[in-house]
Amino acid sequence: MLEKTKNIAKQILEEKKADGVLGLMKSRWDIVQPHVFEKPGELDALVLEPKWLLAKLFMSILRSYPEDYRLAVICRGCDERALIELTKRNQIEKETLLTIGIACSQEQAAICLCDRPYPVKLDAGEIASGADPFQDERVREFLIGNDKKRMEKWANVLKRCIKCYGCRNSCPICVCEPCKLEDDVWVQRGAVPAEMITFHLIRAFHLSDTCVACGACQEACPVNIPLLYLQLSMRKTLKEKYGYEAGLDPERKSPILSDFFKEPETGREYPEWINSLRGKDGY
Amino acid sequence: MGTKFIKTICPYCGTGCGLIIKVEDGVAVATYPDREHPVSRGSLCVKGWSAHEFIHHPDRLTSPLLRKGDVFQEIPWDEAIPMAVDKLRETAVKYGGDAVGGLSSAKCTNEENYLFQKLMRMAFKTNNVDHCARLCHAPTTVAMAQTLGSGAMTNSISDLAGAECLLVIGSNAAESHPIIMGEIYKAVDRGATLIVVDPRKTAVVQNAKIHLPINPGTDIPLLCGMMRHIIDEGLYDKEFVKARTEGFEELNEFISAWTVEKASGECGINPELIKLVAETYAKAKESAIVYCMGITQHACGTANVLAICDLAMLCGHVGKEYSGIYPLRGQNNVQGACDMGALPNVYPGYQGVSDPAIRDKFQKAWGVELSDKPGLTVTEIIGSAGKDIRAVYIMAENPALSDPDVNHVLESLKALDFLIVHDIFLTETARFAHLVFPGSCFAEKSGTFTNTERRFQLLRKAIDPPGNAKEDFTILCLLGSALGLDFSYNHPGEVMEEIASLVPAYGGVCFDRLEREGLQWPCPDSDHSGTQYLHKDRFTRGRGLFVTPEYTPPKELPDDDYPYYLSTGRMFAHYHTGTMTRRSPFLNREAEEAYAEINPEDAVHLDVKDGEKIKITTRRGSIITTARITKRVSKGSVFAPFHFAEARANMLTNPVLDPLSKIPEFKVCAADVRKESQDD
Repeated sequence: MLEKTKNIAKQILEEKKADGVLGLMKSRWDIVQPHVFEKPGELDALVLEPKWLLAKLFMSILRSYPEDYRLAVICRGCDERALIELTKRNQIEKETLLTIGIACSQEQAAICLCDRPYPVKLDAGEIASGADPFQDERVREFLIGNDKKRMEKWANVLKRCIKCYGCRNSCPICVCEPCKLEDDVWVQRGAVPAEMITFHLIRAFHLSDTCVACGACQEACPVNIPLLYLQLSMRKTLKEKYGYEAGLDPERKSPILSDFFKEPETGREYPEWINSLRGKDGY
Repeated sequence: MGTKFIKTICPYCGTGCGLIIKVEDGVAVATYPDREHPVSRGSLCVKGWSAHEFIHHPDRLTSPLLRKGDVFQEIPWDEAIPMAVDKLRETAVKYGGDAVGGLSSAKCTNEENYLFQKLMRMAFKTNNVDHCARLCHAPTTVAMAQTLGSGAMTNSISDLAGAECLLVIGSNAAESHPIIMGEIYKAVDRGATLIVVDPRKTAVVQNAKIHLPINPGTDIPLLCGMMRHIIDEGLYDKEFVKARTEGFEELNEFISAWTVEKASGECGINPELIKLVAETYAKAKESAIVYCMGITQHACGTANVLAICDLAMLCGHVGKEYSGIYPLRGQNNVQGACDMGALPNVYPGYQGVSDPAIRDKFQKAWGVELSDKPGLTVTEIIGSAGKDIRAVYIMAENPALSDPDVNHVLESLKALDFLIVHDIFLTETARFAHLVFPGSCFAEKSGTFTNTERRFQLLRKAIDPPGNAKEDFTILCLLGSALGLDFSYNHPGEVMEEIASLVPAYGGVCFDRLEREGLQWPCPDSDHSGTQYLHKDRFTRGRGLFVTPEYTPPKELPDDDYPYYLSTGRMFAHYHTGTMTRRSPFLNREAEEAYAEINPEDAVHLDVKDGEKIKITTRRGSIITTARITKRVSKGSVFAPFHFAEARANMLTNPVLDPLSKIPEFKVCAADVRKESQDD
């Protein structure tokens, strides 16, 4: 897979389809870090591991470069979905997006609880079967069963928050300016932990139909809050009720933005996830 | 195009997290976490994420400055260096070398600290070199060297995740060392018991299983009460005590006076709770003690650390994985600055200046005669300014904000014949300088930092210093050479080679070996892979020594005139004297102005509402600050962060010193609090 990826990247640079390729470089002493490869000769140092999400870096580089600079990016399934979401939000011009899609291993998919560990445009690697996050024991503890117990569980992990903003900073989809988390109405300055409802749930709901489940938020969290789980219920509902997955189809709008009633399987009954918001137990 | 990603190390706390600085055309524009870093593994706290923000601030010093009356004038380096040499030499000739003092820096690299102390010791034959470790972990160095033989964290940060019981004393790691807090939570998620001793209800306390809100400064009664119960119940590790330690009988006799009831009377914790905590700590397979300024910044700071070492040895919770003693070092390189001998009584590697054989070794290596007289500490250098001390060179320290009783510090700085301040901003201290050197920040130089777990890590240069500012290494080499020393180093790596040749414990350290994951000392030779935990099978000093921890209550307790306890510390978005964080927009927006925490009941009594101004007064001075009403502080206590120059908490603090380590009692003094009327 690595050799194939290198060859594709080389070709892109040689044929001047792009001015640079964003990927991972392994230098002397086995140090791995992101790098913009601009010369074909540099690509011998290209590596694909570890999983290192590049969509956010890709965006930040594009924003600071001249418009005519073409940057290709080596991406995994989640990276690609994030990039597609960004094109849907006019953050990246669809025509200029050039990806080299690679597949994740089954092992990686299991670690990430990823149900789609490969990009739509797959250039290298074999498709591994995905994981069903709702089969994971810890996920079930947080998302399924007794509301009160789950509330307690969430409160216990969320009060660890040290307000590093790493979840927002690492999220490839978080692009709003100004950010709601910097609005005094919602988030009190100078206080830790960050408010459970206004910080964490605003962040989660802001991403409810755009989250591509890359897990960057959770991986960046220094205090092990399972932030990805906050998104899983909504993702599941969108998939089951509306056949919608964020970042899969660049042409399809989110059901939340499009006409609710024209969507397939309208589903007039409440989706399951609404259960936990009913508040009948007095919280 | 010019986008580069440079891996380097965070410039804030002693955790030593891995950063990747994104550089565009010579400008550091963003910071990302390093997924491959052995400590931080892809996480950062808010300060780390914002580490690039102060680098290009317009306030950066870009030229040497010379005081002319009340103003500073820019001068070229070829005037600044000779002037520094003339003035320092003049002082040494007129008053002797011991009239010169140097404050080195825990913000600077190992190589810079090594050169700084070498310069002071060689050029002026003085050991008057110290740095801010005096104000944070001096008691740790003294007490742990005495009991265990090595004054450093015994284990590695990652060991915390494997502990069964975690006793956190006087550390608000959730705000001050957030990435280390993450390791503690990993242990909690695996079922470990988190016990927190702190007068305040910090963010750590809110996540603890057991909280012991002791009366300020009563750590020794609590720890002794615990030890007494552990001994009474036979819960101590008899085999370990017999095989690995000495002095148990003396300790036992001393402890016999500390019944749990007596301890309870002093520290204010229910005897049953003291017993429960003692049993939990003693019985766990692996127990770790994490502590910080709440232990050290007391007039009995050294005895506090002794009590911690005694407890750990008593239960055999040291010298093995997942247990041990974890002093959390404050500054990014405070461990390294100590290791490099930026201390008045030791050369690099804690080799005593008064030991003739050691002195002989350094005299031979450096080719000059050296002084065998231990020098003055930070507080003594400042305290003798204008008297025994006539000229001072301060590299990247800010005593005008960081030292206790700063009114007195400011008077001292003014009394100097000559003051050189070497920094990246015109700090509150630099304003008093006669000569200012513009230095480099962490992103503008290479070298090494040593984090709190003894890990030498490589700092990689990402950009050039601004204007005519120079790399600190270069400035020291220029100054050293101008003073007639052989400071002809081409690269900091050469300095590390010299360090390795003089300190057996760092013998195997060289830049090439640090590239990937760094190395934890001791690392005596090039085949040694570093040391994850100390004191395995044998303590550094041979047998672990129980030393009796004599209790002295805080020197100044609340009374009728000053009825409140005042304590100082940090908050999550700012760092120390705020030189960097208050110039980082994202960090500064979290806390733009000075504040102090007071309890809601006290607020009612004082008729103060949240956000109103209060005046805090102690016997040293007073400040006007903003009240934050919160139950984090208990009734009768006030907490003031010390980051803010406009309301310096250290105007208030008590400069009384711990006799052994000379650390001031920052954590407790008596204060009066009044509502500040708006029309004042």
